[in-house]
Parts: sequence; structure tokens; C-alpha cells
Amino acid sequence: MTHDVLVVDSLVRRFGDLTAVDEVSFRIAPGETYGLLGPNGAGKTTTISMVAGLIAADAGTVTVAGEPMTPRAIEPKRHLGLVPQELAIYPDLTGRENLTLFGRLQGLRGSELKVRVDEVLALIGLADRAKDRSKEYSGGMKRRLNIGIGLLNRPTLLILDEPTVGVDPQSRNAILESVEALSGEGMAVLYTTHYMEEAERLCDRIGIIDSGRLQAEGTRDDLIRLTGGVDTIRLGGSGDLAAAAEELRLIPGVERVDAERRSATLTVKDAPALVAQVVGTAADCGVTLADVEITRPDLESVFLHLTGKGLRD
Amino acid sequence: MRQLLALTGSDLLQRMRDKSVLIFALLVPLALMTVFNLVFGAADDLEIDPVTVAISAPADDDLAPMLTGVVRSLDDADELDVTVVETDEAGARRQVEDGDTPLALVVPVGFGEAARAGEPVTVEAVRGDEAGLGAEIVLSVVDGVLDQVASGTVTARAALAEGVAPADVGPLVEQATSGGPAYDVESGQASDEQLSAGAALVAGQAGLFLLFTVSFGVTGLLVDRESGTLARLRSMPIPGWVIVAAKALVSFVLGAVATGVLLAVGGYLFDADFGSVPAVALLVLCAAAAGTSVMFLVVRVASTSEQAGIVTSIVALVLGIGGGAFFPVSAAGALSGVLDLNPVAALLRGLGTTSGGGGLADIGIPVAIMLGFAVVMLLASRLVPDRGVLS
Repeated sequence: MTHDVLVVDSLVRRFGDLTAVDEVSFRIAPGETYGLLGPNGAGKTTTISMVAGLIAADAGTVTVAGEPMTPRAIEPKRHLGLVPQELAIYPDLTGRENLTLFGRLQGLRGSELKVRVDEVLALIGLADRAKDRSKEYSGGMKRRLNIGIGLLNRPTLLILDEPTVGVDPQSRNAILESVEALSGEGMAVLYTTHYMEEAERLCDRIGIIDSGRLQAEGTRDDLIRLTGGVDTIRLGGSGDLAAAAEELRLIPGVERVDAERRSATLTVKDAPALVAQVVGTAADCGVTLADVEITRPDLESVFLHLTGKGLRD
Repeated sequence: MRQLLALTGSDLLQRMRDKSVLIFALLVPLALMTVFNLVFGAADDLEIDPVTVAISAPADDDLAPMLTGVVRSLDDADELDVTVVETDEAGARRQVEDGDTPLALVVPVGFGEAARAGEPVTVEAVRGDEAGLGAEIVLSVVDGVLDQVASGTVTARAALAEGVAPADVGPLVEQATSGGPAYDVESGQASDEQLSAGAALVAGQAGLFLLFTVSFGVTGLLVDRESGTLARLRSMPIPGWVIVAAKALVSFVLGAVATGVLLAVGGYLFDADFGSVPAVALLVLCAAAAGTSVMFLVVRVASTSEQAGIVTSIVALVLGIGGGAFFPVSAAGALSGVLDLNPVAALLRGLGTTSGGGGLADIGIPVAIMLGFAVVMLLASRLVPDRGVLS
């Protein structure tokens, strides 16, 4: 039997009259990447602050590797790697000194510490800049060091709180590749983001959070099914598309066709599987297509469907 | 313990590298000590220029020689160099006009007779442009003599009015004019708690800047919170108190080392001897503990590092000025007792004791005040609602 690395059960946190986190529950299995997707102020950071034992919950429990997590707990924190949203590094220390300090605080020492620091420096691509003070690093290098510190103790659970905020596209891609690699090594990852694309790319399961409540969770496909799960294929071109519509409606999987003379919009179950047949049928009807556009529902659509507002509202 | 030392060592390394500690803890106070020493340091080394006094007195006046004798006797006093030149009235005035002497005293004809008759007596003083502090001292003494003569006059009048026989008035007058003040001034050692001007400046600036220096440790908790490193530290498998204790240790070490260096360097530069090294070291450690304790209150009150800097400056200046870092401070009543509980004042008092030859056994009170202050501040910080960095 495989035990979940993280079990969050009915977590509640209030700040005065504001309930920042309201009855949030989810689990993460070993090797799984779980994304908390929600806009700014949704309760993501407050949730992971309780998961990481930074603040106490008003109600509910957090269990990391079978150990109950509280701000005073020590044991569950041995299994944890936290990468805060801010650049939580000391600018007047070198990259190596930053890693060595936090490695010591994690309980590493002696040759074990040195070897692990070297490994992490190589992993984050800073081995040749290890002796430079981190304040001299570029923004992307600082981000990589920030992540590297979270990896020092080979955590069972790695928590990444919006690690790509304010990062250039190149560094962002490098970070996402790193997370994919870590997940592939069996590490459980809790990843918070308000970028839909990141959640879709990285996460095995996604929890959609808004106003402190977990609105829905599941795989990407599970969530998309909540919207009805239909794709659209939009055709544009010359010829009589309105006349071709009758033939297009006969294709199995096509649920609806809205056609005008120069364009048609098809509602289908699985657009990628049908698009070739749709294009062929239109051609057979004498239509010369100028453009074909497939639109599939994404997490933005899911969020809109669940909350009535956009992720970036 | 290893984690405490790792965190403390790392923090100290960062403080050394960012240079701000060196600037605030050493360079600024040493610069201020130098400036203040240049401005005020000469007060201890006051020198009175030699003064020549031209005195003209009627040859047949039997009381005038007394006045001349008193002025001449001033030459025997420490720090005073008085030369009396006896001349006639015109000569006395000419010497002042010519700038040969800064002061001339002209005793009028009938001076002694007037005194004996119970009439007002005067001596004309002629001051030149060059009259300095020495001449002022001579004049003050002459004023005192004339007051005594006047008191004899009053005595004579009162005696005669009361029907005392004229033959008996003389002894009474003599008694009134020669009795001297009704108190004795005994020369001896100055107060054991008195620092010289130079040493007071060094100790005062060291005490004041100690309060700035210790802020680099504990208030670093606020900086860590703003940068996110506090969250990272709290996610580590270490007890929360280790983080706070490491910052306190950084404050304490920085405060103690900086104060020790300031006293040593300042003492060397400005020729101030603070006495017994073990006793001074104990005072410095206690002052560092007191200063560190204040910072716990500061981080409770301030919610940002910027606010902490402002609160620290206010606290440091209030305690520093109130403790006599710039100039001696005194108060009456209950306020006097409050001032005595100021750790900066206690440090200065303790250093005064050690500079006067006191040892470990003599500094119990200032040590107790500083440690008591530390305990009170720590307790008080527990009463102020926490804003997140200490819990």
C-alpha cells in the first residue's frame, strides 16, 4: 500500500473576519505533482504556509510523510523542501555559503553536506558561480539558487510557491523542466501558480482554489469535463460553407454546426481526432479552406465555469 | 547547538560583509568622539595665564596692606600665577593703559579709616583689554575681602547702636572680619564615579552607539521576514527559539565587540584610562545584554525593518542623551531615580568607578542595573502583542 506524502484535511485559517482558507482538503501521492491553481489572494500561499508549518491552522490537519505538521513540529520538516515565492536567499553570502548554511540547518554535516552542496550546485547550473555572492547573480540564477536550497535534503515533499513569478521566459522554462525532472524522480511536488499553462504542463492533478475554498480538483481532463468537455472547429474559406454544413453534420462526433456562407463553427467531442475528416468533407463539397482553428476547453475555461470569473481577474 | 552556531556565524559574516555595521558601530562613533574631543576636550586642560596686578595704596593706610597681602597670597594657589606691583595711583592707571598689566587696584585715601568708622569702603578696579580669567579671579577675591570688611562695618554699627562701649567694638569687628566662612572645604579625591572629559566622551559615544549596533542582530528578523528567508528558516527542522536566539547572539556579540573596541581605541586616541580590564569587560557585556534586550521590544513594536530603524534611533537617542552620552544629565525627584536606571548611565557610572581604580567588587550596582534593565525589557516585550517574527 502506498501512503500519501501529504494529507491536508479540512484546513481552515482565519485572519480576523476574513476566512483565508476554508475547509481545504487534498492529498499528494509519491511522485505526483499537485497544482494549486487560483488567482492572487485565492488562499494558495496561506494553504502552503500551513502545509510547511509556518503558521498554525485554526482547524483541520496537515500530515507530511505520516507526521502531523504544526509550526513547532520538527520531524515532518525533515521531509520538506520549501521554495518560497520571494527570493529567500542571503545576498551577502555566496551561492555555496547559502547552500551550506541551509544544509546545516537541515541537519547535514561534514562530507555529506559538501557532496550534497556540490550536487545541488551542479543541478541548478551554478557550479562555476558558486564562489560569487548571490547578490551578483542574475534574476534567473537567484531563482535557481532559491529552488536549489529547497532540494538540499532530498525532500519527500517539495513545495514551490509561484516559483516563476517575475522570471524571464528562458529561466521560467528551465524551472519548469527542473520540476518535471524532480517529479520523475519520485518526489511529491505541491506547486502553486496562477499561470494556467504551468499547471497544465506540470501537474498530474490540479486543485482549483478561489476565495479560500477548493472549488474542484482532479486531472486536467477531469476538470475539463466539468465544462461539458466539447471542442470547437472553426472553418473559414471560399465556397458555400452553408451548403457543406449538411454533410458536416453527418460526421460521427459532430454535435452541432453553425454555418454562414464564408465560415462555419462545429461543436465536436474530440476536435484533433475529427479535424482531418472535417477538412476532407468540406473539400468534397467544393469549399476551399483558408483557415482552420481548433479551440479546446482549458483550465481558464474551467475556472470561468466554476467561479464565473477569469484567473487573472 | 550546531544549528544555533551555524546561523549565528552566518549572520555575523553577512554583517561584516555589508559594511554597515563597521560604519555605524565603529567609524561614526570614532568620528564623533574626535569632533567632540576637539570641541570640548580642552575643558579639562584649562590654563590660566599669569596675571600682574598693579596696586596703589596710601602709604599711611594701615588696612590697605591687608588687601595687597591677600592678592599677593593668590600666587601660592595652584593654577594661579599672580604678581603684584606696588605703585602710585597714576602709575597704576598708566600701566593698564599701556597694556603692561591687565588689572590695577586703586585703594582710596581714607580706606582704613572709613572701614573702622563703619562707612562703606570701595576699591577702584581698572581693567585693561587684556584682562582674562586670572584678572577675574583676582577681582572676585578682592570682592570677597571687601565684603568681609563691610561685614565688619555692619558689626561695628550694630555694636554701637546696642550700646557696646567703643573700646569693646574693635574685638567684635575683628572677629566678624576674620572669622571666615561657617564651613570648611576639604580638598580630597573627586567622586569615584567621575570620568574625565575625554573619557566621558569616549564612554558616552560607546554607550550610545551600542544601542545602534545591537539593532543589526535582532531586528534582522524583520529583514528576514520581508525577504522570505524567515519563512524558509521556519520550514527547517529546527526549534523556533534557535532562530530568535541566533539573532540575539548576533546582537550581543556585535554590541560587546564594538563597545570594547570603541573603549580601547577611544581610550588610546584620547588618553582615557578606564582601569581594570576584567571590570570593564563585565560592564561591556552587561551593557550589550541590556541593549540587546531593548531590541526585542523594538521588533514587537515595529512591523517593518524601516520602522524598526526609526524606533531604534529614537530609543538610542533617548537612552543615550538621558544617560549622559553627550553631556552630564541630572534631574530631581522621581525622574532622578528613572535616569539612574538607564543602562547607558549605568555603563558610564561603572566606567567612572573603574577609571577611578575600582574593580569587579565595586561595580555591583551598575551591573545590577543593566542586568535588571535587560530582564525588564524582555518581560515587557512579552506583554506587547507579537507581530509575527518572534512567535
